[in-house]
Amino acid sequence: MIAQNKTKWLLSLLVVLAGLLCGVAQGEISPFAGARAILESKCIECHGGKFERARLNLSTHESLLRGGESGSAIVAGDAKASLLYKKITHADEPGMPYKREELSENEIAQLAKWINTGAVYEQPLTAKVEKIWSLQPIKKSAPPKTKNKSWAKTPIDQFILAKLEEKGMKPSPLADKRTLLRRVTFDLTGLPPTPEEMRDFLTDKSPGAYSKVVDRLLASPRYGERWARHWLDVVHFADSHGHDQDRPRPNAWPYRDYLIRSFNDDKPYARFVEEQIAGDTLFPDDPAGVVALGFIATGPWDESSQMHIVADTVDKKMAQNLDRDDMVAVTMSTFVSSTVHCARCHNHKFDPISQREYYNLQSVFAGVDRVDRPYDLDPKIHATRQALLKKKTALDVNPKDKSLLDASVQSEVAEWEKQIGPPAIAWTILDPTSFKSDGGATLTKQVDGSVLATGTRPESDTYTIMAPMDMKGVTAVRLEVLADKSLPHDGPGRQDNGNITLTEFRLKAAPKGETNSAKTIALQNASADFNQKDWEVGKAIDGDGKTGWGIHPEEGKSHFAFFELKESIGFENGTALTFVLEQQHGSSHTIGRARLSVTSAPLPVRVNSLPENISKIIAIKVAARSADQKIELAGYVLKARLERQLAVLPAPRMVYAGTSDFPPQKNFTPAKIPRPVYLLKRGDITKPEEPAVPGALAFVSDLSSQFSLADPSDEAARRAALAKWIADPRNVLTWRSIVNRVWHYHFGRGLVDTPNDFGEMGSRPTHPELLGWLASTFIESGGSIKGLHKLILTSAVYQQSSGNNVRFAKLDSGNLFLWRMNRTRLDAECLRDAILQITGKLDLTMGGPSVMQFYLEDPTPDRTPTVDYGRFDVDAPVNFRRSIYRYIYRTLPDPFMDTLDCADPSQMTAVRNISVTALQALAMLNDRFVIRQSEHLAARVARGSGNVEIQIRTAYNLTLGRDPNRSELKALKSYAIEHGMANTCRIILNSNEFIFVN
Amino acid sequence: MSLTFFNRREFLWRFGGGLGGVAMAHLFGTQGLLADSLAKPNPEFNGGLHHRAKVKRVIQLFMNGGASQCDLFDYKPELIKRSGQKFDPGERVEATTSSPGNLMKSPYEWKQHGASGRWVSSAVPHIAKCVDDLAFLMAMTSKTNVHGPGVYLQNTGFLTPGFPCMGAWISYGLGNLTDNLPTFVVLPDSRGLPYNSKGSFSSGFLPVAHQGTIIKAAAQNPIEDLFPPGSAKFITKKSEADGLALLNKLNREHLAHAQGDSRLDARIASYELAAKMQLSAPDVLNLGGETEATKKMYGLDEKTTEDFGRNCLTARRLLERGVRFVQVWSGTAGAAGNWDNHADISKELGSITSATDKPTAALIKDLKARGMLEDTLVIWTTEFGRMPFSQSSVGRDHNGGTFVSWMAGAGIKGGAAYGESDEWSWKSTKDKAYCYDLHATILHLLGIDHEKLTFRNNGANRRLTDVHGEVIREILT
Repeated sequence: MIAQNKTKWLLSLLVVLAGLLCGVAQGEISPFAGARAILESKCIECHGGKFERARLNLSTHESLLRGGESGSAIVAGDAKASLLYKKITHADEPGMPYKREELSENEIAQLAKWINTGAVYEQPLTAKVEKIWSLQPIKKSAPPKTKNKSWAKTPIDQFILAKLEEKGMKPSPLADKRTLLRRVTFDLTGLPPTPEEMRDFLTDKSPGAYSKVVDRLLASPRYGERWARHWLDVVHFADSHGHDQDRPRPNAWPYRDYLIRSFNDDKPYARFVEEQIAGDTLFPDDPAGVVALGFIATGPWDESSQMHIVADTVDKKMAQNLDRDDMVAVTMSTFVSSTVHCARCHNHKFDPISQREYYNLQSVFAGVDRVDRPYDLDPKIHATRQALLKKKTALDVNPKDKSLLDASVQSEVAEWEKQIGPPAIAWTILDPTSFKSDGGATLTKQVDGSVLATGTRPESDTYTIMAPMDMKGVTAVRLEVLADKSLPHDGPGRQDNGNITLTEFRLKAAPKGETNSAKTIALQNASADFNQKDWEVGKAIDGDGKTGWGIHPEEGKSHFAFFELKESIGFENGTALTFVLEQQHGSSHTIGRARLSVTSAPLPVRVNSLPENISKIIAIKVAARSADQKIELAGYVLKARLERQLAVLPAPRMVYAGTSDFPPQKNFTPAKIPRPVYLLKRGDITKPEEPAVPGALAFVSDLSSQFSLADPSDEAARRAALAKWIADPRNVLTWRSIVNRVWHYHFGRGLVDTPNDFGEMGSRPTHPELLGWLASTFIESGGSIKGLHKLILTSAVYQQSSGNNVRFAKLDSGNLFLWRMNRTRLDAECLRDAILQITGKLDLTMGGPSVMQFYLEDPTPDRTPTVDYGRFDVDAPVNFRRSIYRYIYRTLPDPFMDTLDCADPSQMTAVRNISVTALQALAMLNDRFVIRQSEHLAARVARGSGNVEIQIRTAYNLTLGRDPNRSELKALKSYAIEHGMANTCRIILNSNEFIFVN
Repeated sequence: MSLTFFNRREFLWRFGGGLGGVAMAHLFGTQGLLADSLAKPNPEFNGGLHHRAKVKRVIQLFMNGGASQCDLFDYKPELIKRSGQKFDPGERVEATTSSPGNLMKSPYEWKQHGASGRWVSSAVPHIAKCVDDLAFLMAMTSKTNVHGPGVYLQNTGFLTPGFPCMGAWISYGLGNLTDNLPTFVVLPDSRGLPYNSKGSFSSGFLPVAHQGTIIKAAAQNPIEDLFPPGSAKFITKKSEADGLALLNKLNREHLAHAQGDSRLDARIASYELAAKMQLSAPDVLNLGGETEATKKMYGLDEKTTEDFGRNCLTARRLLERGVRFVQVWSGTAGAAGNWDNHADISKELGSITSATDKPTAALIKDLKARGMLEDTLVIWTTEFGRMPFSQSSVGRDHNGGTFVSWMAGAGIKGGAAYGESDEWSWKSTKDKAYCYDLHATILHLLGIDHEKLTFRNNGANRRLTDVHGEVIREILT
């Protein structure tokens, strides 16, 4: 601290001296020189240097005039009227410098003089700010020399040993082979060594025995399963959305499998980063590029706000803002260990990150939502589909693109027009004269001939609508159900979600004036523009009142259905038509606005699915069409063709990922072009300020935080730019972050023990030079995580014993300097998987949909299903899969795993809590899983031998990797004889020795 | 890592939880992370952390779904007068799930009650009789009109998942009053979990020991894993006792070779505490010892009130035995059986108030009669209110603009009211209170300065009250 102040003081002295010298040369000190010294030493750190507090930047005349949150900082030529002056004289509180020593009278006078002479800058001010350790260049220091020359096995050890020697400590002895094998096997695979593996290692006396084990474990598929689980903690992965409805997310798992594959394949880290942020656009031909985007979508999703509530409300915008916030937070925490998300409501309080930069990062994700996204395992089909989808998205984004006038496109349009056949049929809208609701709704005729329902909203209803007609030879009738602002979700139904159910549709006809003689007209070949799954329109004329026509999830827009008449009608002197619309489904699935029409077109009535605007254009002769009309038509034709091409591809697989292209669901619609993001005053969605532009963080020197994007509407390009910024070898945070994470999982504590925060408020590294050495070595290796493991695991520091040393425990109780190995408690997954392996039940099937280790009942599509762990058969085969394949239900976590500190998937977990509680003891004793597995272990050891002693010995070797000693054997044996082997196994599984790894 | 440098007892609750244990080694040591929150319950402060506590234990009744303030407590003559007219407050009206209907008066009658003259509707006649013990927050306001974020906000102070709820914070701050029962207990509606399921009882980034322990008072196995399942016939009383002794022996021998790691001691102790809990928990859930008069008062003799009544009575018994914070939920997630009355106020609200009104009033009366209100706080809250205009003729949509909560008990000025909504009960106008203010007030009563109870997580010193919160002194004695 003192040193720093001294430096600052020296600097300002130098500046003053420079100013003096300058002044001497010219015979007079310029007002700027005096002001500059003060501003640079006292003001600029917070206003234009490290921070832009109150959004004020003092570095240039223009920025000074522009001012900050409280307006312009100066009135040039008038110091007394200037805010800056009021602040430094404390006429305006809080005065400046904030919470530091006040300026002297002389300093105030100098600044006043400068303002009074116009606040001229001879050059912009620069801030001399010492950067925090994490932002300094990564250096590969030579490993330090140590007194003890024999201990170190790797350069890592030299760094560790030098620090220990400096602190007057020394490392612990090498751990014994049993301990070492158990440690490294759990560490790399999340499973204990088998008795055979233990025997092999103990008998392998070669010097390379341990190194061979490390290679074997790194090559095991179990390795990827273990380390992907760590990654899932960090990115808060789950198989359900969370929030109030917490619906299942059945396609989250491909991302989990992607992680397992990536770790097992030792994917170069830069590529791993790039794929997860922008794989779709950076590696368009690789299916992994899409699956990896599961990363963007791992967090919770507020389905109620995003899909169900009325669009265009503050709540909806707030939900979108928080959704992007999660994407920014997970990206920046995971890859660069930065707490950018702390700058949502104000500039970052501790790190030089402005609120503007935060929103710039939000705008990187402004085009994506979390939703299922198609991909194909076959790279060829994948590339074809992605190319078609890309073209389709381009049409959505730029519907007026001039290239649609190109001759090739226009000739495709002409070809299409030849094939579409005769023009649409004409419908005549009827004018109802009488309309009534059996349920008591108020029906009112609208100017367009439709009937609107208001007032009482009965559970069920039947409308009877009568209309006269003069036409003859009527062959079909049409029912339109129309959207209307007065209806829930804009209708067309009156149900809360806007749906309808037309259970039966009937038509009667009579000669005009003779309604009493009306006869039922038989209907056939019902057809609709949209049919809800299992609620097709044919069910409205099937005579079954329990079935009917529905339009979910296409609420909020108008729909139509038409029905052919078996025989045409039309009396000579006019016809009285009576329509009966039965809506007996209940829950107010009644029609909000209905309109009826007739036609005399010849049968069969052809569905003209062309939208009205397109029909209108093709009615115009080609030569007479305007350029806009041609573009509109071409866009329609191309899109329809792309959709046909997509439709013939084999059904794709789906992954829940970030995407900008998906079919709208209720009020959840894709952003076509990225949504505008604004800097929000105090983070308040109702107080937008200037628009944000996609960008990264300025504090990483050597890299531009500004993206040069050819097309700002191309959302994928925004993500690609961020991916490149993060994965750049010059991004000092990225490489420090990952090597620290890997270290953390090996030692139970990172060299920086806040792996998600490398900022001012995070911890300082215990061994900064080692961290730098590891990061550069890792970059040089091409980002090989397996290489990094090997380096760390073969070090002497990793292989030392975890035994205690009373003296060192006093000097360094937290073992920050690694005078011994840390003892770790098995985490929830390791514990569960270890038990399964020990009992012989572990199913090593890899990958695929997550397995539900609970009883599920899911009767209602909008509600959280019943997720009951108590009703689940713990002997069901899916329960024997590894824990990484568990279906993780966000708000209904597995109570057993929860008790064991399993990561809360609503929270990015860089470090797991490890607690010890009575409820945990109860779970280990009484959970049905442990109880059943105790029985399975008993059965397994009994299969080997009938001798209780041998059985105990086997159980011990499977569980703890050793034989019981004489005293243990005696106690266990007498217990086993009295209470049986299952009880005995239950006790062994509860022991501290099993649950902790030395 | 060794934790020998800490007095184990002192930090037991925070990192292991109320039932003993020590862990979270990485939190200690290097950075003085806990410097702000190292205050511990101080006998001079009556168990408070930063100042004198008036409250030692808390019951929170949470009405899941959005209890309608304008049908219960927020009397508005203008709304009655203009009922049936178009709602035109002169600014944009948003409703989350529907298009706004006409103004709609409550189907219930309004009357003034008690010496305080508080207006209460005929939907809650029993609570109406207690008004002189209650302090009303008449202008509660939410930041959202959506259940998920709304329920999170009222429980954790944040709209998004992953943050610790108030019970977890209190457990973390104050620790336990007994070793025999969990510190923070949740009694869900017997029909199911509320919105966000267990998300609202989560300890978030705090150690899991501070998470709410769910007790399903009416279920066959009220507490998960308290005893071995009935199917495990090989476990007997004797095998259990001998087994725990054997485990203790094995663990102690192991400890002899692994000195200097208090987590190992703590784990041994956790089995002793588990045994204590096995003795205490069944006792607390056995209502057999309660008098018929008490059971009747809570409505245990009637089908309608039985479920909520059992939870309220159980809550009282838990507090008596040293549980620090009990949360009782009324209403499940889903379209019915809660306070989310979109379709028909008199039918839907009527059904849920008749199930809860009598037990709620009984709880107040019972605690008062037993002298427990002297150091107990009762809170009645919900995630938001409802609109003064109709939704599909006789229901009401969500309204974060204004709603009502009330408190009773230690430190609370009975009969007080704070805040006002506008003439329609649409938006809070005077003395608005957010969950931050409510939480700050509750913590204040427990002897905690809400700005000082913090936990560092992913770069921020997190608080229950985020960066907000003012103690509402107007309702305090």
